[in-house]
Amino acid sequence: MPEIFIDGKRYEFEGKPKLLQFILDNGKEVPFFCYHPEMSAPANCRQCYVKVGTPVQNRETGEYELDENGERVIRWFPKMQTSCSMEMTDGMVVHTQETSEEVARAQKDTMELILINHPLDCPICDQAGECPLQIQTYKYGPEGSRFEVKKVHKPKRVELGPRVTLDAERCINCTRCVRFTEEISGTHQLTISSRGDKNYPITAPGMEFDDPYSLNTVDICPVGALTSTDFRFKARVWEMNQTPSIDITGGKGTNVDLWTRDNLVLRLTPRYNENVNTHWMPDEARMAYRKFNENRISRPSIKADGNNQIKTSWNNAIETFAEKLEAVKPADVLVLGSAHASVEENYSLMKLFSTWGVSDFHFSPDVKEGFGDDFLLTDDQAPNTNGVKALGFSETSAEDLKAAIKSAKVVVLLNDELVDRGVLDSEDLKKPFVISLATNETETSKSTDLVIPITCIAEHAASYVNVEGRIQRSLPAKETKYTHRKLDLEMSEGRLDRYGTNFDNWVNEDNKVDCTPIWELMNNLGKRLGLSVQFGTSREIMDEIASSNSSFEGVSYEKMDDENGIQLTGMNKEEVSA
Amino acid sequence: MSFDWKSYTPVIIPDIPNLHEIDVYTKNGGYDSLKKVLSNDWDPEKVINEVKAANIRGRGGAGFNAGLKWSFMPKPDGGPRYLACNGDESEPGTFKDRKIFEYNPHLFIEGALIAAYAMQCSAIYVYIRGEYYSWIKMMEKALKDAYDKGFIGKNILGSGFDVEFHVTGGAGAYICGEETSMLESLEGKRGYPRVKPPFPAQKGLWGRPTTINNIETLSCVPLVIKNGADWFSGIGAETHPGPVLYGISGHVNRPGVYELPTGMPIETLINEVAGGMRNGKKLKGLIPGGSSTPILTAEMVKGTNMDADSLREAGSMMGTAGMIVMDEDTDMVEMLWRISHFYHHESCGQCTPCREGTGWLEKILLKIRNGDGEIRDLELLIDLCSQMEGRTICALADAAAWPVRYTIDRFRDEFEARCKKSTYALA
Repeated sequence: MPEIFIDGKRYEFEGKPKLLQFILDNGKEVPFFCYHPEMSAPANCRQCYVKVGTPVQNRETGEYELDENGERVIRWFPKMQTSCSMEMTDGMVVHTQETSEEVARAQKDTMELILINHPLDCPICDQAGECPLQIQTYKYGPEGSRFEVKKVHKPKRVELGPRVTLDAERCINCTRCVRFTEEISGTHQLTISSRGDKNYPITAPGMEFDDPYSLNTVDICPVGALTSTDFRFKARVWEMNQTPSIDITGGKGTNVDLWTRDNLVLRLTPRYNENVNTHWMPDEARMAYRKFNENRISRPSIKADGNNQIKTSWNNAIETFAEKLEAVKPADVLVLGSAHASVEENYSLMKLFSTWGVSDFHFSPDVKEGFGDDFLLTDDQAPNTNGVKALGFSETSAEDLKAAIKSAKVVVLLNDELVDRGVLDSEDLKKPFVISLATNETETSKSTDLVIPITCIAEHAASYVNVEGRIQRSLPAKETKYTHRKLDLEMSEGRLDRYGTNFDNWVNEDNKVDCTPIWELMNNLGKRLGLSVQFGTSREIMDEIASSNSSFEGVSYEKMDDENGIQLTGMNKEEVSA
Repeated sequence: MSFDWKSYTPVIIPDIPNLHEIDVYTKNGGYDSLKKVLSNDWDPEKVINEVKAANIRGRGGAGFNAGLKWSFMPKPDGGPRYLACNGDESEPGTFKDRKIFEYNPHLFIEGALIAAYAMQCSAIYVYIRGEYYSWIKMMEKALKDAYDKGFIGKNILGSGFDVEFHVTGGAGAYICGEETSMLESLEGKRGYPRVKPPFPAQKGLWGRPTTINNIETLSCVPLVIKNGADWFSGIGAETHPGPVLYGISGHVNRPGVYELPTGMPIETLINEVAGGMRNGKKLKGLIPGGSSTPILTAEMVKGTNMDADSLREAGSMMGTAGMIVMDEDTDMVEMLWRISHFYHHESCGQCTPCREGTGWLEKILLKIRNGDGEIRDLELLIDLCSQMEGRTICALADAAAWPVRYTIDRFRDEFEARCKKSTYALA
């Protein structure tokens, strides 16, 4: 197998990897800015310099020539090479900044030049704290600056499009954003304008940067030049904590991180998963964070006289729920699952009601024909359509649903905005007693008789099966009134969470929603109805599903965490599309 | 050299009236070389070997053997192959190719056709700088005439060899004179130099094998075919032979383009060919081959000839043979600042050292020029040159750094005299 010597250590490699990626893959480091593993390597930042040599081979025999000490004779490249664009060859010898003064010096030189026109505004820059330029300057940069003349001034606050704002002075011209629109999203909306130290990325005159994936350029910008118009100046990175989760605005199951501060989700960023979304996510999915904070239903409410809903106690809500059920036969109850809710939520709903005697379970698919592309957007607008199907909920059309509601006396509605998305009319929900288990205040929840708040994806651990049959799970990021970071070991703690107290002025108790996971609600309802149904945590529920439902065989939270999601057997791409 | 330059008869831009007209050109033996190679006994290999033997060293600045460069093209695989002719000519002090476009365009066209035949290219592109608007028009006219006469197009002169010829105007960027960014520009993209490897001979225009030659280089080709490699290599300096267009500008009495053999003594060029220094002043410095080549002091010019070896020995380079002559009144600080301003303005901005370094150099030089500089700034300038040289994709950073390094090195007293005395050391 071909070999390479990096900083005196021998490595074996296969194929034709590029040197920088190989170094990074092997846990070593070389600073870089313009390189991105998903895009072409333009080698323009000149930061990833290394010293490279190849062994001298005898032309006829092909044997390595040896010096008097029996060591291979190395022919060094006369100039230092950018490792991002360097193709590895057998026997190559590489020195990084760790073993070569010359390389360390060259990297420092480049860093000095990058910094001369870069504004020293880290204290007000959104990128500070997660800025490759800032981090690598501390590690590899010069101690001070020798730049005593005027910096170049360029446009600030340029609204490139509806979602991205440019601060051109901060740009180091790595062209990652330009290459993203050329090579990944394919819209070719950005280019570099002007020349030399006056240049910066911009759209063609009069054009908008409205690429459906535009915010990815903010993520890959190695400085604070491209910022999210929505997020800029909202929070410092180090005040937030980061929780892995799944996008719930589409069927792709894009892996995301939720960034929270004081129990509010402030932004979503993509999380790398080579099997799903790699480094990217659609812009639309980023706006989902608002639903986790705004219009949340806190405490149950019940319809009093007329159409007014008033807040009520949990006891009263469960009592009313039970009384309404006890007054009718199971056949008169319509239970609607939801492709917008997780596997565990749908399962606990189904299990309780089937124990009580209901045999038919329905859900209404949420598909917008033609919405998807061949990248990360899908026609399916719900994150768990395959999950509810696999649990045994039957896909029901709007007409059938209307008829079923008409003949039912009690309807239980799991988190699905049926009225808002036009499947039902609020008139349809007038006749039966409708109980909605919902996260957000919507037209749908307003049209129902009893509203019981449940946790959203940001508040519980639960699993979702994407359009390709891959099951992936979320972790709780926000506390509810009944959970606490210090007690739930799955929850992450930010600096403020860890070192703050409830009396600090940045803590707002109102950010915690008064809601419970649906399985806890089902426990209480089951107890009240005298049923022998008892759910543990969502982790235990998943174990139960895995052992009872063959579609979920072998699924567990541990395995999902280890493997970054599991492809369910018998649910591969072909079958799903057919 | 005891060569009598007055007896030399120009061959690239000979003294024939209306030579730019195709009839005049053909009447004077034009396109005979093309006819010669397209006749049966010349295969492409033979053309390449002849040109290689003539040792035409690239006139665009690098001075690489043109025939050798042609031989780097891979074997034809049936797909398109290109010849790209570099007429961007944007280096300050260089203005030779426009003379060819104006006075002898068909010589260049013929040379390009022979080169295309030698490398089995399917199309030729000539890239002319945008400011040369009239010359682009002249070239278009000349090409149309050559098309009409059947020298370009399908089945040229009944030989079965096909080639298309296109003219493209630049849009005013110096960087598009760099061969790979010229290819980008020809493809309709922003003029950014490409990372090498792959080299253009492997992956050039539209990813296909491409050779890039200077206009003057190609114009020598018909002469080599006509008169033989020995004739060509017998002209001028032994290691850098052939006729060359000297573009002499600056403080001389008769600036202009002069066609003479290589290896002319610089002093002869200044004092005799260009009519001597203006107003009888003394020579102070000379930039031999376009603004990026290191400047020579009057002392260094003595006994130096205009060929690659002699100039290397003297501490400079042949470049494009665009000589800038400066007399004793020249303010070297002002001159260097102006050159640095040019490179700052023209850096494409792709690589960090060049994008940031060219601006920094200019700003420090401006400070020194305005009398606010300190001696430590000179050290910083030299240091910055080391941070730029050889650290970028193309050679623009070197082109920007060399004038600074060598002008300060060779005229240091003048720079120091302009600086304030430093009181504290550099950070």
